Amino acid sequence: MWKPVLSSLPFLLLVACSSSASSEGTEFPTERMELIAPASPGGGWDMTARSVHRAMTNDDIITQDFNVENMPGGGGEVGWQYLQRQDAHSTSVNSSLLLTNNLLGQSDLSYEDFTPIAMLLTEWIAWATASNADVQDADELISQLQDDPESLIFGLSPALGSGYHLSTSQIAMLSGVEPRDLQVLVYDSGGEAMNALLGGHIDILVNSMSVLSSQYEAGEIDIHAVTSPERLEMFPDVPTWQELGVDIEFPHWRGVMGPPDMTEEEIAQYDEWFGEMAESDQWQRDLESNMFFDFYMDSEETKAFLEEQDALFNDIIESVGLMP
Amino acid sequence: MDFSIIIDGLFTALQPINLMWLVIGAILGTIVGILPGLGPATGIAVLIPLTFGMEPISALILMAAIYYGALFGGSRSSILINTPGDGSSIAATFDGYPMTKKGQAGQAMSIAAIASLIGGVMAIFGFIFLAIPLAQFALNFGPAEYVMLFIFALSAVVALSMGNIAKGFLTMFLGLGISTIGVDLQSGVHRFTLDVPHLTDGIDFIVIIIGIYALGEVLYNMFNINKAKKPDQNIGSKWFTKEQWKKSLAPILRSGPIGFFLGILPGSGGTISSLLAYSTQKQIAKNKEEYGKGAVEGLVAPESANSSAAVGSMIPMLTMAIPGSGATAVMLGALIMIGIQPGPLLFENSPDLVWTLINSMFIGNIILVVINIAMVGMLVKVLHTPPKVLYPLVLVLSFLGAYTLGYSTVDFYILILAGVLGLLLRVLNYPVVPLILALIVGNDMEQNFMRATVIYDGPVSILFASPITIGLAVLTILSLSYPLIIKLLGRRKKKDHPMTM
Amino acid sequence: MYIIRLSLPVLFIVVSLIYAVMIFQLQPAMLGEPNAPRYFPLIICSGILIFSIVDLINMRKENVRQNEDLEMLSRKSTLKIVGIVLGFCLIYTLIFEHLGFLISTILFLGALLFYLNGVKHWILNLSVTIITAFTTWYTFSFLLEISLP
Repeated sequence: MWKPVLSSLPFLLLVACSSSASSEGTEFPTERMELIAPASPGGGWDMTARSVHRAMTNDDIITQDFNVENMPGGGGEVGWQYLQRQDAHSTSVNSSLLLTNNLLGQSDLSYEDFTPIAMLLTEWIAWATASNADVQDADELISQLQDDPESLIFGLSPALGSGYHLSTSQIAMLSGVEPRDLQVLVYDSGGEAMNALLGGHIDILVNSMSVLSSQYEAGEIDIHAVTSPERLEMFPDVPTWQELGVDIEFPHWRGVMGPPDMTEEEIAQYDEWFGEMAESDQWQRDLESNMFFDFYMDSEETKAFLEEQDALFNDIIESVGLMP
Repeated sequence: MDFSIIIDGLFTALQPINLMWLVIGAILGTIVGILPGLGPATGIAVLIPLTFGMEPISALILMAAIYYGALFGGSRSSILINTPGDGSSIAATFDGYPMTKKGQAGQAMSIAAIASLIGGVMAIFGFIFLAIPLAQFALNFGPAEYVMLFIFALSAVVALSMGNIAKGFLTMFLGLGISTIGVDLQSGVHRFTLDVPHLTDGIDFIVIIIGIYALGEVLYNMFNINKAKKPDQNIGSKWFTKEQWKKSLAPILRSGPIGFFLGILPGSGGTISSLLAYSTQKQIAKNKEEYGKGAVEGLVAPESANSSAAVGSMIPMLTMAIPGSGATAVMLGALIMIGIQPGPLLFENSPDLVWTLINSMFIGNIILVVINIAMVGMLVKVLHTPPKVLYPLVLVLSFLGAYTLGYSTVDFYILILAGVLGLLLRVLNYPVVPLILALIVGNDMEQNFMRATVIYDGPVSILFASPITIGLAVLTILSLSYPLIIKLLGRRKKKDHPMTM
Repeated sequence: MYIIRLSLPVLFIVVSLIYAVMIFQLQPAMLGEPNAPRYFPLIICSGILIFSIVDLINMRKENVRQNEDLEMLSRKSTLKIVGIVLGFCLIYTLIFEHLGFLISTILFLGALLFYLNGVKHWILNLSVTIITAFTTWYTFSFLLEISLP
């Protein structure tokens, strides 16, 4: 009986907020701007938003008052629902969750409800095993999975249907392994999953290079194959899946989007800002220290890219049987 | 061990600029610790932009100071007005607040600060000598071990509600029930969220803590609000007595190591360690009936444990780049942004950094004791505020604290419900702590149990998964049967006394 | 008095029943064992139910009349104060995002102070309200950079 009452609450509140949003002048921007990190401080979205903020303000690319706002909840849902009702002064960081939340039936918001502004960066995903497990290469893992898909335990984060899960499923499908049979343990964060790998509680950790690198350099874990199209400069010894005959290219991207119905001029303004930011030294340095990779695309390219990704995820989710 | 590097570290830590950041961090940490809802994670996050322009080592010193400063501050509001702002300061209400009622607020706060200092210093020595081997040992904690650890912690806390075991289990199950709200990680199923997006990540236990304690306390004090006399509470001496100190030393020394080790384990180290330290202390104590009525041992034990847990929780973050708590996660992110890569190589590549940090924690703990004892005089003024003015202010701060946790008024409804529940639980003598601990560990316990079922064959093999699980199982049985044994013995001794609890 | 004493165990029994219904309405898991998300809640649900019943039975041994707090709470005057304070909290919740932090807090704190502290102390009430509202607003919005509505 509470359901209708409670579920209508956020809606009512949002309506109330939107009414306070000011009317637009001809000049843009006219007031304080905000970049929403739809998560708590400390995570990937937050780091991305803060890096953007630092690069934009350090080099005075944006001179308007500009803030990062954390709006955690519901895998981005809370922040994005808020964004949907704002004007062009608000933007939000996004990632593949924007697409998968919708495809998995966990959200009514789709990427089409927002204005794509830019792709910013990507992480590349890799499989790692503990070095004392003595795994030679990814081929060995794949053939073991082909013999018995339940013989290896995967650890990934932060949810089923995340980029780590979907890329692993795609690799399994391409290698003739039934993705539904994989044994998957889900952890809250990459750090926890790394703990489990080092302690020998899981066999394979699927995560991005930034999480894997420090243990890799210390020789505690082996990284077997990465989803990038070419070998990464920082990790010349790690082969790509494509080299191993698995035709996959799977970025774990983050981008920026705005509310629906932005004008051409506003989009062009953002393109200018982000284009300049992507070139800035500060941004490049931040990418490097976080072990993120440049993935800049302007608004047009981003739009096409999102459509392509949505179709790909749709296929994977359908064949893994995660479709609601 | 190369001692020159330790001395170098000491000198770097003593540089005026680093000392300055240390003091700023300590003060800021104490303040965010006192305010309900705000914790070290928020304090550090706020300062991230500031750290960009700083030397990496200064930034690290500042962030660490906020972290353990918040724990020093956390117990202040528990002791003074029975309203902990965070899980790790709940245990300080058990005996700290009764001490205030007895007119010993000043003594309680100063001895709590000393306990935190000693706990922290013990943990720093632990850090120096045991960081890497302990971090390695902590890796043995897999799904089965965590399930058993949580079961042990819950049973130890339920056992605290002696004579009231059924109510203890009841509130524990309620807490577990609340913890199942949100997405189930292993299956991705949304459970009991009533389609409110804010609830998909579950209910923040700090909102419940603020509700039950702060709101509950305010409502409880409404009973007598019109009769309450002018507060003429004697706040007593600022300094604790020799006798109190004698009683405290052993509990402080015992609880430090407990906290340190539990802090290293990722999870809610602070809360679990302070509650376990309290229950251990109470179970081995001879004067059990004094606990909960202002026994100084019951205050210093959890304080020592949670301060050393804070130092302990920096170990996995620094040595393995694995954050064990919200605060260390924010620190990890900030460190990476300023160009320090924590991990196994940090100790080899930048030992100077590590040793400066360790030395600064040393100095920082001493500074904090000074700050906190100096603040005692100021803080006890709170007790002079007329209750009719004080409690409305507590209400506003509680709501504000809840808002900063999730930026949503959905949490306000939860806060109010928790407040009413807290009032009823208190009036009808239901123990609250099992509910809160269950709420904190419930989700982790379930997730680890589901993970364990993938790894092991069945419940029995989870129990016998490793020497650790067997040891924890034995401890669980001991802690549950101990009060029963006591009760049986007690019944034989004094059959004519009615049950009072 | 007995109504209040009974309220919790009875409430918990009702909660466990509602919980049980919701458990059966849960979506099955898409991967792995379809009932996995239900196991743990089912254990909890039976735990709540069993121990609430035990608590109800134990109640007979309790001497409710000895509980001073309960006696206090059962008085009409106490219930009225608690109810009104809770009412203010609820109103605050409802207006918080519409009127913004500053205005709603001034209304909330002011109402509480005037109600509890009496109209006689209006100077104190007003000054405390305004100082608190502005200092907290300033601290959170500017020093801590936490955006309030």
